[in-house]
Amino acid sequence: MKNKGKGKVQEVGKKTGIFLNRRKKTLLLVGFAAAYLTAALLAGFWISPKSYGVDYSAKFLPPCAAHPFGTDDMGRDMFFRSIKGLSNSIAIGVVASAASSAIALAFGVTAAVKGGLADRFVNWCVDLCMGIPHLILLILISFMMGRGQKGVMAAVALTHWPELTRLVRAEVLQIRSAQYVQASYRMGKTRLWVAWRHMVPQVLPVYLIGVILLFPHAIMHEAAVTFLGFGFPAEVPAIGVILSESMKHIAAGNWWLAAFPGLLLLLAVMLFDVAGESLKRLLNPNSGNE
Amino acid sequence: MKKIAGILCIILAVGSVLAGCGKGAAGGTAGNLGQEGSAGSPEGEGRSPSIVCYVGHGFWDGSLDPVKGGFSYGYDFISSGLVRVNPEAGYEGDLAERWEVSEDALAYTYYLKQGIQFHDGSGFSAEDVVFTYETVMGNQGQNGEVDLSKVEKVEAVDEYTVKFTLKEPFSPFLDSTAQLGIVPKEGYRSEAFDQMPIGTGPWKVVQYDAGQQLIVEANESYFEGAPEIKRVTFVDMDNEAAFSNAKSGQLDVVMVQPSYAAESVAGMHMEKLETMDVRNISLPCREPGTFTNVNGEQVKVGNAVTSDVSVRKALAIGVDRRQIIENAFHGVGKPAEGWTGNLIWGNTAEYEDAQTEEAKRILEENGWKDTDGDGIREKNGVECAFEVYTPADEQDRYMLAAAAAESVKEFGISMEVKQATWDEIVEKTYTQGAVWGFGQFSPMVIDNQFQSGHFTVQAYANPSGYENPEVDSLIGEAISANNQEDAVAAWKKAQEAYAKDYPYLYLANIEHCYFISDRLDISVDTQIPHPHGHGMPIICNMKDWKIKE
Repeated sequence: MKNKGKGKVQEVGKKTGIFLNRRKKTLLLVGFAAAYLTAALLAGFWISPKSYGVDYSAKFLPPCAAHPFGTDDMGRDMFFRSIKGLSNSIAIGVVASAASSAIALAFGVTAAVKGGLADRFVNWCVDLCMGIPHLILLILISFMMGRGQKGVMAAVALTHWPELTRLVRAEVLQIRSAQYVQASYRMGKTRLWVAWRHMVPQVLPVYLIGVILLFPHAIMHEAAVTFLGFGFPAEVPAIGVILSESMKHIAAGNWWLAAFPGLLLLLAVMLFDVAGESLKRLLNPNSGNE
Repeated sequence: MKKIAGILCIILAVGSVLAGCGKGAAGGTAGNLGQEGSAGSPEGEGRSPSIVCYVGHGFWDGSLDPVKGGFSYGYDFISSGLVRVNPEAGYEGDLAERWEVSEDALAYTYYLKQGIQFHDGSGFSAEDVVFTYETVMGNQGQNGEVDLSKVEKVEAVDEYTVKFTLKEPFSPFLDSTAQLGIVPKEGYRSEAFDQMPIGTGPWKVVQYDAGQQLIVEANESYFEGAPEIKRVTFVDMDNEAAFSNAKSGQLDVVMVQPSYAAESVAGMHMEKLETMDVRNISLPCREPGTFTNVNGEQVKVGNAVTSDVSVRKALAIGVDRRQIIENAFHGVGKPAEGWTGNLIWGNTAEYEDAQTEEAKRILEENGWKDTDGDGIREKNGVECAFEVYTPADEQDRYMLAAAAAESVKEFGISMEVKQATWDEIVEKTYTQGAVWGFGQFSPMVIDNQFQSGHFTVQAYANPSGYENPEVDSLIGEAISANNQEDAVAAWKKAQEAYAKDYPYLYLANIEHCYFISDRLDISVDTQIPHPHGHGMPIICNMKDWKIKE
């Protein structure tokens, strides 16, 4: 069925010439997003600190060929500094998503499968976390962990799991009560077999998309916490640091200090969002029926 | 793609709405302020006798009551003290005509001026002085600005004579009497004075909204003559908002950071005012180890690099202070190698700096050599490197330390500049450097920074862990002197004694930058050298300000 449909669509695509079908467009978009973000992440590791080092002879240069994003009040190249900052943000996003998704998976599955007291406990945790304004929770955790890289990483990693936990729990609950799952149990299949053959294939797409859609939140929150002074210290290039510094110079007309790093962050966040939404359509076609 | 466009649109729309809000609010406030100004103007024959000033963020958020530490700056504003600081940084009588110090340095007698009135019309006499000092001594915990712990008792000898008896000789006591404004005994109401203090000064409070604005009016019966400007509004906003307001012509005085000194504002000019505020980097003088302080606490202290006096000397003579000021402060400020010459007790013995070759030679001689070719010297496997901490909310100190780090790199020393909160910095200073800013009229700052007993006991005091018995005894001598001359001589000797050890890397004497409206004359000649705290000190002589014809 599936293959047949695919072939048909491809034929239509061929007929209309260079216009790609929606599936291909989506894939291309996902590919582009992945490439941009991987490139930014890797570039950060590869850039030497010298390329955004202090150079007092080049203070406050507006964007030019040598410095595409201009320079700041210490003559640091804003292009390399922004890329390095973005890379730091994405790295935080990766760690946070990994940690949050692991917590969410463990909590969600436990709650749904065990039920009873465990379910109530997990729900209580979720309510507790979601009851506190997110930014305040981030600041509290980061401050408690001594701020800096460690603080912001812990804060972002430990506060993004509640939504995903709810999602996983709901999904598992639904499948657990499905007729065919009950039938499997009656036929003597083990819990593990049921989990692997029936649960995982159904839950995985929702879960993966949830993880990807966590990224933009994590990155934005990292930048926000840093902007407010509870994240990375000033000597580490981070988008939040760059943006909060730029606020001091914007009244004097140095617009490029805020504009380019801001756009870079915006683009990264939006690409993650697009990639996530597109994958949702590809991997979870049922979402179209919602 | 449509979705992206949609998101972009939303972001732009939200952005512009927010920006609009900000502008609207700022404009609204400024508009109101403008109205305040024009409301007072009809009597001024076309020119407005009122001005609007911005003198820094966060100055107007606490109590204005002198008893609780309000306005402890050593100059007249709402209330006057017994003595005050003059433009030469000496002391002159204010509410007191003259004063005497007894031979044993324990009794200070002040003879008061007569016929002075408080804002409420009541007369000023010795009873008010006694009341003010006794109230502060009884609630010393509420007043962190004026320390009267050395005072045994204060009594009124007659209606216009006050006698202070000290527990032990304390020569900086004169400064304490300059810091404390006198409140009326009859009219004093603790709660009301937080908002509306009554004093004998040139200005009366009209309205005070903590954290927003303070409006003062000229005191027509001020004993040295009423100020020419009749109404002043101080606004509280952040530095950038204030600069924008100045650009749109809504402020007469606006304090700016040095990085804005090169900007230009139509109808205003830049005024860089002299301060006594010096910036230095503390260099831990002790060898790494554990230190047990007088409270019995074990503290890890010392730094293997900065404990070597040759490194400290190389830093002091090797750095290029002018270059650092150029790079960090856009050329605003003066090189400093110790306390400033505008302090009567300041010892300004200077030495030549930027001697890169000499610094290299000293380091080589003492075994600091670059053996691995990374540009940083080593000795016995220890890198010639240390950390320097700056408070996270002060960009200028970070800039200064970063510029200094660039300068010392030239002779092979690495300074890694970091930002932290003050709480963290206090701990870090036991083992690493930190950027400090000090500037006050009282020479007690020398005791604070160099007296060995303060190390690890008192936060912010003696961060270098400096210990020199000669300096300690000279400080003791200066404090117990019974006259100003002997005290000043001992303070100067103490500075000479510690200079050869370079416990602090003095870098710059900052200047306070303000944009001043071209119609306003802030009487630069009667400005006193500004103490620490950029912003507020400009109002020290506000009673002399004039609107130009």
